[in-house]
Amino acid sequence: MAQGFTRRQGMVGSLAIGAAAALAAPSASGQALKGGRLRVALLADIANFDPHQFSAINMPIMKNCYDSLIEYTAEGKAIPNLASAWQVAGDSKSVTLTLRGDVRFHGGGALDAEAVATNLRKCADPVKGKNIFPTMSIVQDWTVVDPRTIRLNFKAPVPERQITDLLQFISIIDPAVIDTVETKAGGTGPFTVAERLPGQRLVLAANKSYWRTGEPVASEVVMTVFSDNDAASAALESGAVDVIYGGGARAAVRLRNNGFQVFQGPGPLVQVFRINTTRGPFRNAKFRQAFNHLMDRAAILRVGYAGMGQVTALPWAPASPAADPAYNARYAFDIEKARALLKESGLSDAEMKDWKILVDGGNQDNVAITQIVQGTLARAGIQVDLDVKQGAEYVDALLTGKFAATFGGVGNVQKFPSRLTTNSIYRVANNPVLGNPHPHPEYVQAIARVDGALGTGPEVKAAYDNLNKVLVEVAFGVATNTYDIGLIVAAKNIGGVTLDIDNILVCRTMGFR
Amino acid sequence: MTSRRARRRIETARRVLAHPGALASTLFLVLTVSLAFLAPWVLPIDPLHQELSASLEPPSAQYWFGADELGRDLLARVVYGARTSLVTAGGAVAIAALVGIPIGLVAGFFGGWRDAVLMRFIDVLLALPNILFAMALIAVLGRSQLAALVAVGITGVPSFARITRAQVLSLRQRDFVLAVEALGGSSSYTMFTTVLPNSLSPILVQVVVLSSVAILLEAALSFLGVGIPPPTPSWGDLLRTGKSFLYEAPTYAVLPGIALTLTILSLDTLGRTLAAVLEDRREVAAVPGREEGRT
Repeated sequence: MAQGFTRRQGMVGSLAIGAAAALAAPSASGQALKGGRLRVALLADIANFDPHQFSAINMPIMKNCYDSLIEYTAEGKAIPNLASAWQVAGDSKSVTLTLRGDVRFHGGGALDAEAVATNLRKCADPVKGKNIFPTMSIVQDWTVVDPRTIRLNFKAPVPERQITDLLQFISIIDPAVIDTVETKAGGTGPFTVAERLPGQRLVLAANKSYWRTGEPVASEVVMTVFSDNDAASAALESGAVDVIYGGGARAAVRLRNNGFQVFQGPGPLVQVFRINTTRGPFRNAKFRQAFNHLMDRAAILRVGYAGMGQVTALPWAPASPAADPAYNARYAFDIEKARALLKESGLSDAEMKDWKILVDGGNQDNVAITQIVQGTLARAGIQVDLDVKQGAEYVDALLTGKFAATFGGVGNVQKFPSRLTTNSIYRVANNPVLGNPHPHPEYVQAIARVDGALGTGPEVKAAYDNLNKVLVEVAFGVATNTYDIGLIVAAKNIGGVTLDIDNILVCRTMGFR
Repeated sequence: MTSRRARRRIETARRVLAHPGALASTLFLVLTVSLAFLAPWVLPIDPLHQELSASLEPPSAQYWFGADELGRDLLARVVYGARTSLVTAGGAVAIAALVGIPIGLVAGFFGGWRDAVLMRFIDVLLALPNILFAMALIAVLGRSQLAALVAVGITGVPSFARITRAQVLSLRQRDFVLAVEALGGSSSYTMFTTVLPNSLSPILVQVVVLSSVAILLEAALSFLGVGIPPPTPSWGDLLRTGKSFLYEAPTYAVLPGIALTLTILSLDTLGRTLAAVLEDRREVAAVPGREEGRT
């Protein structure tokens, strides 16, 4: 990627200068919290130390060993972080970042624009960029203006929310360890890695020269990997750990009823009934649309997730700018409407039954909610069997489209709407399920319209409304409910819990009352 | 001859049932089998019918065992789960016996290279842990009741083969066998009409023992999530799902667990008693002058 773009552009666009302290995420300061050793139960070990592998498995370390360029509050407001200010150009084709001057990496080096450029190079690499790479596709190149200033240039005008999403997505790795970051952590975050026993334990020590005043509160964080949720719950109840991160909803509800604190972040996933429109009866649009009314969303939420979450007929979290609760009523569970659409499809009974629902046999919630749909389909006159697969076999089938229909959670549903396309079933190009070219051009056009709608005026709302309308009409993904990922259950004496927009674990503000 | 065999069987049954534990076990097994196979008539409740508003209902007049997370009647699921377990166990034992007994018979009767080859094959099967072998087989065949039945059945082949071979080896040089051969009986005639009938006692015990092992293995496979796929009820699957609701609905896992435990205990008790009675009879038969061959 070329980096020779040096022409200074007039920057008359929106100005987002840090009113830093006032806008900063909830801090431990003023809450009279004590430090000490914070013991956290994890339900799975991390995969590696790379914060650019932005997936649930690495969420325990992303915000504890690293900092991102900017942050979001729990309400979705962009606030400064490593970048103390950012300025979007008037033509929305570039953003200029001003970096803090008091930040040092764990290895001792200072954060500067060259370090950020090194990270951008990694993010723009199709292999090394991992989950950040698709989001970097809007970036043309970048320019190091001076040691504390860097400008990112875009291929086309980009909506501001999409720009802040990108900046919030990028955590900065120490250039000294960037090539070996999978095994050796090195960031600017509030904790350094003191010890790691794969599959068992991860010990983080407080970063003494952390740039935020008064943080981290805890002097040490000990993360212990538990084999299952019940074991982690027992550890919390017996006082062996202070916090469970990433546990299940049912256990959380029980622990909440027993007096423990439960924190639901603003970044849930949305459960989506994914439909492969290239197979069997699902080629028929009316048949697919019937599924909008065949989802008993309330029952799915209650049975699968102990009621923790919200029903939704669209793949958005409530914090998403595209969320529209009116769709929940319009596409509510209604077996008669479904029957009418099935009749309109013109398919014979035999054709309607010629498929199976793929199920993740290792995920009990998935098995339960799939059986609800199976029961509902039986009531509508469609008897289908379950195709139960486990582990890697299931993931392979899910991600390569070897299914007719299946449930699967989608993320990035609280960010800029087109971020939805990072999920396999919603990809507009190289869609691994629906193939190339995309069989539903109206969906591709709706996403393009959202990407091209700049500003905050009525044209933006119209683009979102159009996307929502298209989503329920093409119906290759029928949303049912939000559910929590990164659920935090804490002992009564734990305070200073910070809710992250992506439900990532933030330990720096946590302490003991 | 027939009436003497019948008398002997009745006598064996009488001696087995004289044992209180075996009597109770037999009564329980008869009840379980009857309920499982007469379920559609004696318990006309659909085990697949969902009543989502009754999710995790505690035991009541309507739901004697309570309801599962999808509002399905747990009593019906336990009873129909018994049918699943018993059919799987019965089929598995049949497969194990049909494959294992001829292998043991041929190996023990002919000896030599046939014995060596067949027993090495059995050694290979024995070297594989049952549960891992069954899981691997199900991974290849796909999850279904037939796959579980075949997988559990194949794991039972070695025990039938070894027991039959040991029994045949002990009978091979006995006078009544040699007499049949001396009178011109072919190998197959001697094997199937003379040796095999005299080997049946320990095989019968093995049928009972392997039934309990098969039920347990099927339940273990379902518990691990690789058994019979949902929504078909099975005891192992009920245990697996129920353990997640131990706080909210303790009967969900406990009652299928009790049914499974009692069935295994009953089969085990019956098997042990049968083995003891048959052993007694053999010792009596082995007294000089009382040896008899059933030809």
